[in-house]
Amino acid sequence: MSWISTLTPWQWGLMGLVPIGIILLYFLKLRREPVEVPSTYLWMRTIEDLHVNSLLQRLRRSLLLLLQLLVVGLAALALLRPGVRGEMASQGRLVFLLDASASMQAEDVDGFANRFAKAKSLIGDRVETMTDDETAMLVSFSDRAEVLQSFTTDRRRLRDALSRAVVTNRPTDVLGALKAADGLANPRRTSQAGDVNDVQVADAKPADLLLYSDGGFQNVTEFDLGNLVPDYVAIGTTQPTNLAITAFSAERNVEKPSEIQAFATVVNLGETDASSSATLTLANELLDASSVDLPAGEQVGLSFVFESDDAVSLTLTLDIKDDLPTDNVAYAGLTPLRTVSVLVVSPGNTPLELALKTPKAAKICQSQFVSPSYLQTEPYSKRAAAGTDDLIIYDRCVPSEMPITNTFFIGSLPPGDGWKWTTGPTGVVLIDLDRTHPLMRYLELFSLLIFQGRAIEGPPGAVELLGADVGSMMVLAPREGYQDLLLGFELLSESEDGGTDTNTNWYAERSWPVFVLNVLRYLAGAAEASGAPSFKPGDTVRLRLESALPKVGVQWNGGGATEIDSMEVPVGASGVTEILKTDRLGNYQVKAGDRVVDLFSINLFDARESKLAAAQAVELGYESIEASTGGVEKRKEYWRWLLMGMLALLATEWWVYAKRVG
Amino acid sequence: MPTTTDQPLLSPELLGRLERLELVSRKVFRGRMKGERRSRRKGESVEFADFRHYVAGDDLRLIDWNLYARLDQLFLKLFLEEEDLHFFALVDASESMNFSDPSKLRVAKQLAAALGYVGLCRADRVSVSVLGPEGGRAPVLRGRASLWKMLGYLDSVESGHNVSLHDGVKDFSIRTTGTGIAVLLTDLMDKQGYESALRMLIGRRMDVFVMHILSPEELDPPLRGDRKLIDVEDRDESEITINAYVLQKYKETVHSFIRDAKQFCSQRSIVYIPVRTDTPVETIVTQYLRERGVVR
Repeated sequence: MSWISTLTPWQWGLMGLVPIGIILLYFLKLRREPVEVPSTYLWMRTIEDLHVNSLLQRLRRSLLLLLQLLVVGLAALALLRPGVRGEMASQGRLVFLLDASASMQAEDVDGFANRFAKAKSLIGDRVETMTDDETAMLVSFSDRAEVLQSFTTDRRRLRDALSRAVVTNRPTDVLGALKAADGLANPRRTSQAGDVNDVQVADAKPADLLLYSDGGFQNVTEFDLGNLVPDYVAIGTTQPTNLAITAFSAERNVEKPSEIQAFATVVNLGETDASSSATLTLANELLDASSVDLPAGEQVGLSFVFESDDAVSLTLTLDIKDDLPTDNVAYAGLTPLRTVSVLVVSPGNTPLELALKTPKAAKICQSQFVSPSYLQTEPYSKRAAAGTDDLIIYDRCVPSEMPITNTFFIGSLPPGDGWKWTTGPTGVVLIDLDRTHPLMRYLELFSLLIFQGRAIEGPPGAVELLGADVGSMMVLAPREGYQDLLLGFELLSESEDGGTDTNTNWYAERSWPVFVLNVLRYLAGAAEASGAPSFKPGDTVRLRLESALPKVGVQWNGGGATEIDSMEVPVGASGVTEILKTDRLGNYQVKAGDRVVDLFSINLFDARESKLAAAQAVELGYESIEASTGGVEKRKEYWRWLLMGMLALLATEWWVYAKRVG
Repeated sequence: MPTTTDQPLLSPELLGRLERLELVSRKVFRGRMKGERRSRRKGESVEFADFRHYVAGDDLRLIDWNLYARLDQLFLKLFLEEEDLHFFALVDASESMNFSDPSKLRVAKQLAAALGYVGLCRADRVSVSVLGPEGGRAPVLRGRASLWKMLGYLDSVESGHNVSLHDGVKDFSIRTTGTGIAVLLTDLMDKQGYESALRMLIGRRMDVFVMHILSPEELDPPLRGDRKLIDVEDRDESEITINAYVLQKYKETVHSFIRDAKQFCSQRSIVYIPVRTDTPVETIVTQYLRERGVVR
């Protein structure tokens, strides 16, 4: 049992001064009635006797004052809602975990703007009822955890920290927050588990883990609650209404470059049927609209086609007032159509020439063939150093230095120590293919015949795209913002008599031009030229730009005409820039002056966040925790007003009395 | 405020009763003129006092010739001389006496007049005066016919002679050389104390009577609540919250004050007579004072 104190010590002190103030006012206000007496001689002698306890004697008479003091005291105490706390299984240490993910923006709670506001209010109530012995910390989490306030008994600091907490557009990852809460409750050992000489470095401090969330996160398995006593406070309803756009992208039609196709997926993630219209706008101008009518749990794909040669920023909006407005808007960007420049250094490679000249490839590529002797010339050095080409293909030749651009080596090792042949030339049988990689899309390679090839070992970070019986046959490796692709076998080899032999039948396969097109799209950057990537809120967006730019401006457009914001970011030496402020949903245009150099968009696109129904139980470290109301019980306290009225009446009575006597 | 000042100090009935009384002195004083009292001085009364040897120059008429015939020695026969009595009434006319109804000063004046008249009727030498420099103006009276003069003087006395008892008695002592009965009519409320004043009177070998006049309001004040008490003499202010407890304490102080005064007086052969202003003067003089042996 403990006394519930609603005041801090200094506030108690201040209240203690109230009766003293009243007594002082009583004496200050006291106007004594003058009366003449023959002599004050005897009175003086009487007062002398009483002098030692004169204050008490004065007060003794004033029954009115005493009664008033009593009433004021009782009223003040009543206003403080005195009471004793029943037995509570409190550990004395509280860890508040506040979910600040996108789903907490849902507006399905009565009396509050959104779930986040309600969670803050509940935490605030709990902080108010903390005893002086209780200490608490506050952690907010979305896809990352942030300790807003470490353990403290200071309620004011907790309140300040709580007021700083803001809801984000990010997805949910509760593990980081749990680890932050875990620190003091479950101290780690100094070294490996199982070491008998190892000792626990600190005493465990059990704590109550108060999780204020809607439960919209994955079950946490790699975590042991240990000394944490969990309490999950579910925020939100179990019957929400929510239509969400979970995917939205735009692509240029390769056949007709000026034609743009936009695709969207709309899902009903609420518990009730919903219908709406989906509106596609381009720079605030209506392009197209479509109606969506979905039963609960169903999804539908939408496609729009329109024409534009310029860079576009598209916004798709569901015109419905549901519980989570954030996922009713999606953004997609499209860069203006551009061609990539490819330099091919080769002693002669007809299959490659043919593949680069197919109608599809020719639309997105301008290729230039040079002989290996060109590598020794001044113009090449300048091109390589300036990064003028989007891709350089080295067919059976090696430059002295790697150029400032992406490269594709065919049958030769790039300079440097990173790349190695692991075998000599030998017959090759392909056994593995990474079809998930964009470079290998639509390829069927197992029918290839390869006469001689060498297995490759790439530098750290290298990815095997094509595996053979002798080892990796095609490897993609990063290099300071660029990528190098190495093919372990030649397409054409030089015969002993100086003629040209075919080393493989790939050029005769349909997969060959497709592969070259993939190389152009992915490695040369032609694919980037069509669709702008979409990122999650809060992601760090890394872009490769023209290296000549010292800095670029990033303009955010949230859809509306007024929702435009600009910032400047520097560009690194290798032309890579990182944009960190990506919390807001919308289209982001990267501009150099007035020219749009790149585009990306930030979208929620997270079915887990959009699935609003508050979980009735969450699983933390193999422990299922049922939702509680989180309730610090609150009464409607009209009696405060009554008491205030009483105090006012008392004050009036006192004033009237003092006036009359004075 | 007093309302009875218009009435005569002594009513005719009281005057009639006073004529039958006599001032009693516990001491025998030397008077200045022949009166109706025995004097320590040997004189010419018919009352025998003593014998002494004849010395040359004595009045031969006083020689007891019968003794000479028997003893063949000359003796003078001494007789007691009858003398008048000095009666001093000292009225404290400070502002504090002008309190209550009838005021303490009026009661003091009535008592002074009554006792003075008793003295006048017995051919005593009567001096009724107020304390302080004003007392020098007071007439010395003898004979019943001086009654009006005395009353006239008393009527003219107003309150406001704010001198301390000590200073007043000192002034009186300097001014007066004789001894006799001294009746001090006062409330004894002097912040400097009354003791020195009474000692001074005793030092003058007076037969001292203290008539301690207090009003009922002083004994039991009708005051309650938060008051600012103002001393009418020196305008001294004293803030006090009067509740039952304080009042009780005050009464205890008053009784202690009276008890101390009585004790002080009895230890020095001073007759202490407490007088309440709400008691009629007739009652005081004809009953109270007779019982205390002031008059007979």
